[in-house]
Amino acid sequence: MAKSLLIISRQAPWAGPDAREALDIALAGGAFDLPVAMLFMDDGVLQLAPVQNATLLQQKDLTANLQALSMFGVEDLFACRFSLNERGMQATGFSVDPLEVLDDAQIAALIDRYDQVITI
Amino acid sequence: MATLHVLSHSPFTDSRLSSCLRVLGPDDGVLLCGDAAYALGTGTVAQALRTKSTGLSVYVLDEDAKARGIALPEWAQSVDYAGFVALSVHYDKVNTWL
Repeated sequence: MAKSLLIISRQAPWAGPDAREALDIALAGGAFDLPVAMLFMDDGVLQLAPVQNATLLQQKDLTANLQALSMFGVEDLFACRFSLNERGMQATGFSVDPLEVLDDAQIAALIDRYDQVITI
Repeated sequence: MATLHVLSHSPFTDSRLSSCLRVLGPDDGVLLCGDAAYALGTGTVAQALRTKSTGLSVYVLDEDAKARGIALPEWAQSVDYAGFVALSVHYDKVNTWL
């Protein structure tokens, strides 16, 4: 039985390579049929904003990678309610769907449930 | 499945420690190394950690605390590198807040 992996992505989309690298790990894990989940928390929830214009910063849009997650079998996607509230983001209308919004106790249980955790 | 959370960034420049404290499980531990050792000081961050430390195991890497002149509070335990390894094995998993 393959070990399950939770990736916690907590960097804003254009703050550096971190957001993209977290996604790459998830996509690679999914490609190898590992049980992978992603949790977006802190600035990581900003990756989920539905309208972004990466080309203005001469960058590639992360949204396409986010939407590729389900194609790679990464379907357990979560966002932190506290982080969304901090940033005034609605708990609906994200660039990925479905996405489950979790409170702190649910996140503790989520971390507990996975064999391995990577926080970037 | 208890988790050891490893933090190495100053708690005053970003939200790693505060976020970690929000999502801790009942049997989890926190290991402070590098600039995260500053969390053991006497300010409000230390108070938040101390409040949380009832039932929570707080560890600090001994040389990182000593190098920064940080006194070890009674609610934290210091470990050397061998202790770091032992903790990593003791807990079911390690979550390093990179």
